[in-house]
Amino acid sequence: MSGVTLERVTKTFGQVRALDVVSFEIESGELLALLGPSGCGKTTLLRSVAGLEKPTSGRILIAGRDVTFVPTRERPIGMVFQSYALFPNLSVRQNIAFPLEVRKRPAAEVARRVDELLDLVRLVPQADRYPNQISGGQAQRCALGRALAPSPEVLLLDEPLSALDALVRTRLRDEIRRVQQLVKTTAIYVTHDQSEAMAIADRVAVMNHGRVEQIARPLELYEQPTTRFAATFVGSRNALELPVMNGRIQLSGAFDMPAPAGATDRAVAFFRPEDVEVSTDGSGHQATLEVKIFLGATTRLHLVTDVDGRPARFYADLPSRRALAFEPGSPLAVQVDPAHVTAFAAD
Amino acid sequence: MKAQQPTAPAADQATGTAAPLGVSAPEATPAGRLRSFGAAWGPAIPLLMLVGACLLGPAIVLVAQTVWGASGFTLDNWTKVLGQAANQDAIVTSLELAVVSASATLIIGSPVAWLVSRMLAGPRAFWLGLLNVAANFGGIGLAFAYLATLGVVGMLTLAIQALGIAFEPPRSSSFIALLFAYEYTNIPLFVLLTIPAMGVVRDDWWEAAQTASATRQQFWRRVGLPILTPFLVGGWILIFTWSIGIYGIAYGLAGQSGGTAVHLITLQIGNSLQSDVLFGPAGAGVLAVVLMAIATVSLLTYRALLRRALRWF
Amino acid sequence: MTTIAAANRAPDSVRRRPSTTRWAQRLLFVGLFVYFLLPMVAVVIYSLATRWTAHILPDGYTLDWWSRVFSDPTVVGAFGTTLVLATLTAILDIALVVPAAYWARVRNPRIRPVIELAAAIPFALPYLVIGFALLQFAGVVVPGLQGTFPLLVLGHAAIAFPFLYWAVDGAMAAAGIERLSEAAETCGASPFQIVRRVVLPNITPGIVSGALLAFATSFGEFAMVQTVARGVYTIPIWSAAAIRSYSGEPGSFNRLAAVTTISFVVLFVLSAIVVYWNRGQTVRILAGARAIEQREGT
Repeated sequence: MSGVTLERVTKTFGQVRALDVVSFEIESGELLALLGPSGCGKTTLLRSVAGLEKPTSGRILIAGRDVTFVPTRERPIGMVFQSYALFPNLSVRQNIAFPLEVRKRPAAEVARRVDELLDLVRLVPQADRYPNQISGGQAQRCALGRALAPSPEVLLLDEPLSALDALVRTRLRDEIRRVQQLVKTTAIYVTHDQSEAMAIADRVAVMNHGRVEQIARPLELYEQPTTRFAATFVGSRNALELPVMNGRIQLSGAFDMPAPAGATDRAVAFFRPEDVEVSTDGSGHQATLEVKIFLGATTRLHLVTDVDGRPARFYADLPSRRALAFEPGSPLAVQVDPAHVTAFAAD
Repeated sequence: MKAQQPTAPAADQATGTAAPLGVSAPEATPAGRLRSFGAAWGPAIPLLMLVGACLLGPAIVLVAQTVWGASGFTLDNWTKVLGQAANQDAIVTSLELAVVSASATLIIGSPVAWLVSRMLAGPRAFWLGLLNVAANFGGIGLAFAYLATLGVVGMLTLAIQALGIAFEPPRSSSFIALLFAYEYTNIPLFVLLTIPAMGVVRDDWWEAAQTASATRQQFWRRVGLPILTPFLVGGWILIFTWSIGIYGIAYGLAGQSGGTAVHLITLQIGNSLQSDVLFGPAGAGVLAVVLMAIATVSLLTYRALLRRALRWF
Repeated sequence: MTTIAAANRAPDSVRRRPSTTRWAQRLLFVGLFVYFLLPMVAVVIYSLATRWTAHILPDGYTLDWWSRVFSDPTVVGAFGTTLVLATLTAILDIALVVPAAYWARVRNPRIRPVIELAAAIPFALPYLVIGFALLQFAGVVVPGLQGTFPLLVLGHAAIAFPFLYWAVDGAMAAAGIERLSEAAETCGASPFQIVRRVVLPNITPGIVSGALLAFATSFGEFAMVQTVARGVYTIPIWSAAAIRSYSGEPGSFNRLAAVTTISFVVLFVLSAIVVYWNRGQTVRILAGARAIEQREGT
């Protein structure tokens, strides 16, 4: 058994439960993204795998070996920090060589491996520069090289891109994925940015309040969130709170479907803006167009309607050319295919 | 920091560069320049005047007086004063004492500074307070406290003797006694001066080193110490400079101009000021300039060192 | 970084240490604590002792020395002089440093390097040298001031100002005084109003702690008092005479012990206030430390 296994890992800080009985397995060579808002426990989980935090209870296994009580320096890991944490007195080359020199590998082997890594992360021209002389993106690649130098069993990345400019971020994100797939190292990638997680992960684990809400492949998570939190966090969705009547929920004229399990009084219906069908011919639910926001290829229509006596707002995304036909202030009819609606009980 | 135009306030700026025809820009006239200088430096001038009058001016005059005799420029004062054995001894001993004290301080103070910088806010505040008191507690008071502790009938002396050990404490005017007393203020001073520098070594470097499988020792040897060393050496230089100029403690412990007391530059200066018979102001002046020269060299070295240390940041 | 951490909690990687070094640490600090407190304990006991030449503890205790100290006009006078001197030093420094520091931040950044260079001088040049040089300088420029109290006040102000500067400058940086001044200007406040209502209230902790450090510097200063103003009788001068004139006669050292204890207590109280005002942050003293913090963005 390779990869990483967490068995009922719990971590408490005084009264606060940072990790609440977390269990899952990561397959060898897989990149798992830990996704969630600030304070959900994803960084604590990553640091627990690294050994920088000790779990209050539970077990952690890396490549089949129980490392729960093994100190960090003896774990077969490599870690990339949010702040890069490059040693300022060592050059790029020396930073990458550090894990190997510290393991007392012979100089020739170290030199060869460092050259290999410099090539892998594309930092050959910067090899002899110092951390304060290179850009943020280059620093992060150096950190990646350093983490991979000892051929670890698992690569840990703690929000590696949050300190970077938007443009650099997408490029480096793809770079990290490319490298990870090339060396086939198991990886855990912490982020609060859901598009980032979905773009590069094999599977995504959505976390909230120390618990894992759902682990699934990105497409599955996107199409079929299994918990209300996952539905709100992943993919920008419309959310409408609807009353449950006779075991069904409906937005009259738009959709009508059975109420979700456990919903007795009210339910929240999630549907994506691109699944909203808009027309002017009156067949569907009545809504008023408040404003159009031009986003390039698509235009987002801000719609307002009446639900249960109160105004409710939601969006519809249309190809911009089609959106030209609709004027702000005009009444429109909307419909949504119930197959595209996911609903959860509102409590 | 925000880049400010270091010149005149709004009124002058309005008429500053684009001058109307026939009128020269205000800054060009001497009066205008004076005004804009006044506007830029005004509130700081009283302080700078104090510094000039009490620090710079006196320093210059001091140097000048040592090389100016009845018949113009002369090095007589220098040759006379530096030719005397007591003075030569004083210079050597002062340097020795400062070097030893700074070194002992460095060894003891570095781990303390590191540990205190890493403490949580509560305990750290306590220790900072204690260090503050000890660092400021010098001079005669400290000399007496030393006597009360390790003097001939000092508390510690009596305690050790009561244990049956035949203990004779070092003479209060000896090198070693002065050293002990110096350490009392120097260690806390060193710690207070170097604590900010300790923050330079970040926690996440240590964590990164751990994830790269380094031991604590390897981390310190390869990353921690290379980065901290310039600041620690800087601290050493500062303590050295400070120790060379200590007077109060030395006066309290070894002030008698007896034959057996250590000779220090500061004590020589003090002595010659008190008994005009010996050298008079000229003699004291030469020694004072010697101190000044040593201190200046130290300070320049310190600044150069710090500039180099910060090149990695 | 996302952590649900109680405030001030260090991560396990930093906190976890092998237990041997933990104990070595504790030993170090206990040793330091004893080392610092031992002399003071000795002094305090001395001030309360009747005869103390043979055993660990004195033969007997008495408050006699203390009452003698408080009733001796020379000593009380010396205390008064010392307090007045220190207070004037602090006040003068506040008056000179605050405007300069403010102007350096808000209007003219070129002032800063000049002040910082000047602030390094009292650290590098021994007070004895400065005192002597000041005496000579006054002899050349204003002979009338030689050996006078006002000259001493100026001298003390010159050597103590760095403490005030670092404290005030630090407070201004922490408060973001440039931004506040600009905002006040856009609200239509006059310079005077800005200083009174915006600047001073926000840097009070800095002024207080800096002033206390300046006060402490002047309070214990010996070299300059002895050199510059021979006639001025401060507590350090009295203490020096007391130490020198030790004649084996009972009482001479005991009264000195009482006076030293008082000095120590004053210092202790001042330090406690300074640390309280700074809430455990370190008070930066030198240029190097400032440069580090700027680059690290702390």
